[in-house]
Amino acid sequence: MDKTIRRLCRFFIVIFTVLALYLGYVNLYLGPSLATSPYNRRLAAIEEKIPRGTIYDRNGEILAETKSQKRIYPLGEDAVHVVGFLSRRYGRTGLERVYDQYLLGISRENELQSFINKALGRVQKGHDVVVTLDAALQKKAAEMLGNRKGAVVALDPRTGEILVLASSPSFNPESLEENVSVENTRYDLLLKDEDSPLVNRATQGAYPPGSTFKLVTGGGMLTWNPSTSYRSIDCKGEITVEGFTLPDIAVHGRTDFDRAIALSCNTFFARGGLELGPDKLYKAAEAFGVTKNPWEGKTQEVPCRAGTLTPPEKMTKAQIVSTAIGQGELLVSPLHMALVAAAVANDGKIMKPHLLDRVQTQDEGRIITKYTPQVWLEPLGQTAARKIKRAMQEAVENGTAVRAAIPGITVAGKTGSAQNPSGDPHAWFVGFAPVEEPKIAVAVIIENGGAGGRAAAPIAREIMRMALKFGQ
Amino acid sequence: MAYNKKVHMLRRLERKLLLRVAAYLFIGTGVLFLEHPDSGRELFTAVVIITCIYFALNQFWNYVHFAGDPYMLSLIFVLCSTSLILLYRLNPIYAARQFLWFIVGLTALAVSSKINYRKLADYKYLYAAGGALLLLLPVFFGAERGGAKSWLQIGSITIQTSEFVKILLVLFLASYLSQKSTELVREKQSFKGFKLPSLEEWGPLLMMLGISLIFLVFQKDLGATLIFYGTFLAMLYISTAKLSYIIMGSLLFLIGGSATYFIFDHVKMRVETWINPLQYAETAGYQVIQSLLAFGYGGLTGAGLGEGFPHFIPAVHTDFIFAAAAEELGLAGALALLMVYILLIYLGFKIAARARDNFSKLLAAGFTSLMALQIFIIIGGTTKLLPLTGVTLPFLSYGGSSLVSNCIIVGLLMNISSTRI
Repeated sequence: MDKTIRRLCRFFIVIFTVLALYLGYVNLYLGPSLATSPYNRRLAAIEEKIPRGTIYDRNGEILAETKSQKRIYPLGEDAVHVVGFLSRRYGRTGLERVYDQYLLGISRENELQSFINKALGRVQKGHDVVVTLDAALQKKAAEMLGNRKGAVVALDPRTGEILVLASSPSFNPESLEENVSVENTRYDLLLKDEDSPLVNRATQGAYPPGSTFKLVTGGGMLTWNPSTSYRSIDCKGEITVEGFTLPDIAVHGRTDFDRAIALSCNTFFARGGLELGPDKLYKAAEAFGVTKNPWEGKTQEVPCRAGTLTPPEKMTKAQIVSTAIGQGELLVSPLHMALVAAAVANDGKIMKPHLLDRVQTQDEGRIITKYTPQVWLEPLGQTAARKIKRAMQEAVENGTAVRAAIPGITVAGKTGSAQNPSGDPHAWFVGFAPVEEPKIAVAVIIENGGAGGRAAAPIAREIMRMALKFGQ
Repeated sequence: MAYNKKVHMLRRLERKLLLRVAAYLFIGTGVLFLEHPDSGRELFTAVVIITCIYFALNQFWNYVHFAGDPYMLSLIFVLCSTSLILLYRLNPIYAARQFLWFIVGLTALAVSSKINYRKLADYKYLYAAGGALLLLLPVFFGAERGGAKSWLQIGSITIQTSEFVKILLVLFLASYLSQKSTELVREKQSFKGFKLPSLEEWGPLLMMLGISLIFLVFQKDLGATLIFYGTFLAMLYISTAKLSYIIMGSLLFLIGGSATYFIFDHVKMRVETWINPLQYAETAGYQVIQSLLAFGYGGLTGAGLGEGFPHFIPAVHTDFIFAAAAEELGLAGALALLMVYILLIYLGFKIAARARDNFSKLLAAGFTSLMALQIFIIIGGTTKLLPLTGVTLPFLSYGGSSLVSNCIIVGLLMNISSTRI
């Protein structure tokens, strides 16, 4: 009997050893691998214990803060597409999502500190996030968009710092979970809204760029056909290729590059596009980053839609002339067009657009991480950039963009009125100021707003005026 | 004189060990005190009382020249201290109630360590009858809790009868098998070279299986069934040394078990939840998922006492107390507790191997197997190693019935260990 007892004892020790090993697997692998499951209430519970950091704009204005357990957004619907919202039910969006770990102070850079805090029984605190946005400009942009659908983007061409990302229609980030009817919460209604207020039109919008795209076509022409800068053509008010007739807004007669930009001559750029051919036209779009997502492979600070156009191998002559003037199958976001203006403003270099300025501790303001500006693309040489710059200045002074002019400041701009299937043309304006030393580049679109010079240029003017008056 | 000297040595060793565990309890209480500064007085009073009871038990044994195993009491002390600390952290009321049960339990332990247990061998049919009665009572008068109908309400106290039935089961099997084992070993028939016992020897085996399955069906108590049947097989193996019995028994149980899987929805649900808990994460799998998350949050060193979120697990103070321990004390703490259990099991089998007669051996090995199975099944259940079955974790879970019955088991084990000299 002793033998069987010993055997049984051994059996139990073996299965308990298996259990011990399995415990290790559960504690160190299986359990942690489930940690991100939506059924883990721990994450939310931990977060509720941590005082969440504040989001500040570039001037120290509060964009999001926690006051007595509630997240407050002083800019409300004016900045919700960038700042985002925090909802137990609908998750988190915008900066609240992207910089969540910093705001909770649980980022990798900080592991040691949080361990020390834990050991000393200190309350774990979230970090403050300072972004490049300018609250005053953002408010102004939202105010000027008003009830119209559209978007405003402004950035500093020298650094890529995004100053404004406004999208309309918008929504209030607070009390999204509130029931407005028996079945619908406020958020449910937003989801069902045909005007898609949840979409950030500034970066996710897909619009035909219209004549503002002539900057890209012009850039390609100056790069690959340098004679463009001194040649002129005779504009007869329309151009016909392979039976397709592209009308022009007017008979511009003798037209050189500056005049073509200033008066937005279709014929000039249609011809230029034909001379470039589909490959180079496509390459020009690529060079300006139109087909790219600036955050590709990096932390996606804002969800962004890369622009799309007909691939070169499928581009017919008729499509070339349409694409060259920003029509056809070409669709871009306002941010992309702001970056085109920034390329011209910054002597041909596009700085990587970004929203994060720095992350710092709540109390001492010790910097955890800081963003360093970097060049993203270089679509233009300096001479080509300066040539376009002068032409854009001409457009504001004597051309289609006169409504963007600001007394005492030199402004460069390009308007667009993009034909689209949903009604009146979309009104576009892209530009920058001051021309000598550009500090702000802007893109504005008003959906179905008609002529760009009339609807979009004044908004850009006010944004630029305000930005430059308050001195950056 | 030599015997008395030996007793004094054993009890002195026991005292030394108890002193170390008392230090452990004081440190744990210190942590609780830091989190509940207002209840310092009641906490430390309770701790002093508990410690005094253990030392009083030690002194009592010393006085009556009790030569039982010197290690077991300190192992129980470790587990009970951990239990009280965890329960206090979960809900001070649980700890207060469990504290009273500890006094009852230790009294039961003291009594069962000194009775003349050999006389117990004479009442086997009384155990069978008593066990059957205890099992059947809750079916008719019982309260259903968590899908299992195995509680009996008497006044304000609810008693989980299966906790006591298991003691009667081991007593019955030990007395039965110590008398009949020789008959079971004999082989009368052989079938194609495979030796089989006759039908009359199969009788008790099939009866046990039948009772277990009926028990499973009527009380819906999957865990208790597994433990009873497993203990039965273990004791059968010890007394007959025939692995074929065990294989046969397991196969029969598997067949019976699979039948219940197809017939009864609650069994089917348990198994499906075990295979894919995430699919039932909001219903039947909720408990296991929350438990696994607790284990994961504990990691290697644990969140620290009071720093985890054990309340997310339903029934954390009873069946899932081990998950709470793993969350706040980490893998390190969980393994330490498991180590204590392994030591306890090892000691139990050592006592069985050294016992003088077959009845004592069977009794000790039976009780030890019973405890081992129960520990394995519930820890396996909370970690998804096995399908979840609601049983308590000996000495750690909240619950009077479980604590008292386990104290009686340990008392009897120590009683058996004292007679070998």
